Amino acid sequence: MQLADNLRQVGDPAADRPAADPPFKVEITGLTHSFATRGKVTDALSAVDLAVREREFVALVGPSGCGKTTVLNCVAGLLRPTRGTVNYDGKPVTALNTRIGYLSQKDTLLPWRTAADNIRIAMELKCRPTSRAAANAKVAAMIDLVGLKGFERHYPAELSGGMRKRVALARTLIYEPEALLLDEPFGALDAQLRLIMLDQLQTLTTIRRITVLFVTHDLGEAISLADRVVVFSARPGRIRVIRDVPIPRPRDIFRVRFDPRFARLHEELWDELKDEVVKGTDI
Amino acid sequence: MPDAQQAAAGILSDPGHDGPGYDPGPGVMTRLGRLVPGGAARALGRLGLLAAALAAWQYLPGSEGRFWISDPISIGSVLLGWIADGTLLRNILATLEVMTAGYAVGCVCGIGLGLLFGLVRPLDTVLSPFVFAAYSLPKIALIPLLIILYGIGFESKFVLVTLVVSFMLFSSTVDGIRNIDRDLVQALRLMGATQDEILRKVLLPAIRPWIFTSMRIAVNTAFSNTLLAELLAANSGIGFLIITYSNQYDAAGTYAAVLVLVAVSVVLTELLSQVERYMSV
Repeated sequence: MQLADNLRQVGDPAADRPAADPPFKVEITGLTHSFATRGKVTDALSAVDLAVREREFVALVGPSGCGKTTVLNCVAGLLRPTRGTVNYDGKPVTALNTRIGYLSQKDTLLPWRTAADNIRIAMELKCRPTSRAAANAKVAAMIDLVGLKGFERHYPAELSGGMRKRVALARTLIYEPEALLLDEPFGALDAQLRLIMLDQLQTLTTIRRITVLFVTHDLGEAISLADRVVVFSARPGRIRVIRDVPIPRPRDIFRVRFDPRFARLHEELWDELKDEVVKGTDI
Repeated sequence: MPDAQQAAAGILSDPGHDGPGYDPGPGVMTRLGRLVPGGAARALGRLGLLAAALAAWQYLPGSEGRFWISDPISIGSVLLGWIADGTLLRNILATLEVMTAGYAVGCVCGIGLGLLFGLVRPLDTVLSPFVFAAYSLPKIALIPLLIILYGIGFESKFVLVTLVVSFMLFSSTVDGIRNIDRDLVQALRLMGATQDEILRKVLLPAIRPWIFTSMRIAVNTAFSNTLLAELLAANSGIGFLIITYSNQYDAAGTYAAVLVLVAVSVVLTELLSQVERYMSV
């Protein structure tokens, strides 16, 4: 794909360096999170253990309300664990974790900035000194990548939900964080566009050697992309099963669904998930 | 300032409404517009109507009521007299002076204090009952007090207008800050933004539409409060003209002063909409 080629041109030349067993990027041990509403204490997460190696792509799937987002919030330092620890690069997360890029479920674009200016914002911060020309080039490349050419001057209110999501993704990817937390990033996209975005995400995270925690409710999406798929139980969220995806990466996102290994894993994990989905919807 | 308006549009627009270019189509207004004749005819019609009304006022019988309702020619001659001896200009300027000075100082103080309150949490928690009490008081009730303190000249009216305007801007600045989406701030923080960058890139742009709206409304508030103060006690200004002639049972003078008021407010409103148009282009 042309977009992928564009990316490779700006890619890290050291990307192909062979690496011995990469160290852990994120280590979650005994993570429990409870919150109180109207005097009632609810456990959102219960004793979750998960260790993610550098450059690993881990997908979290589970019924809604099972605490997948809470895991991301704890890794980002937005929430403190009630019990347990979350380590990032071997150190406990005690403040906002500014080394990650977090694409939350809610879109947090600045309504007074155009799409291009929203994407640019990370490059304007003091912690990332960038020349105007370099920033412009990066923004243009990102706009191309997420397929928003022609919408640079549009304000978020003038974009559709899916477009806003892509702007938010571009805004996060542009500063190449060492780890990405993605919370259902492609939920609002149509099926074709979603595949294209998944493909681009795979290319980009591979080239940039980014560690990814990917929350989704779509099992197929999880298996297509991830090295490992973590299935959560209904609330209080626990890890029900973790499976390696036995298909080498990078994969052909458009055809991986027809791989027999995909089908086998999908069926196995779907059986796990289905019970939980039923449990999770007893409203 | 194109993006200020866009910001307002972004905040005010319906978030559920997706595609750009919403067009309500030819509505009732355009259809009505076609029934009304074009520019020249419309102006002529209006002038004719005005002339007829004035003529009726001047020439219809009813001499016993003349003392109370006066007539256009007497009013006109009073106005001409004011123009000739400088009364008109002096009093208009007096009103405008109080109004603009109070407005300017009020805006600066209101926004400044609003930022301070909105950003320094402890200040807000400690002082909020006092601020609320002061806010709920109709400021016009302070005029007698201000007159004792500052006399009936410029100062008392200036202080009143400053108070009213600064409270308006104070509260909308604080509201603007409270309504900032915390998630926007958090998203920027996660990108590594410093406190200062959050202030410049999120906070100030987010409250700008709140402040602009409030500043626009405050122009009218400043004007009406200046007038009220002048009506209660003053030694110059349009309100002073009105109340002086009214106290003397001089109907022609009172009408003339009210006419001046109408003219000034029309000019002011027009000026304001011109400024708005300029800012939003």
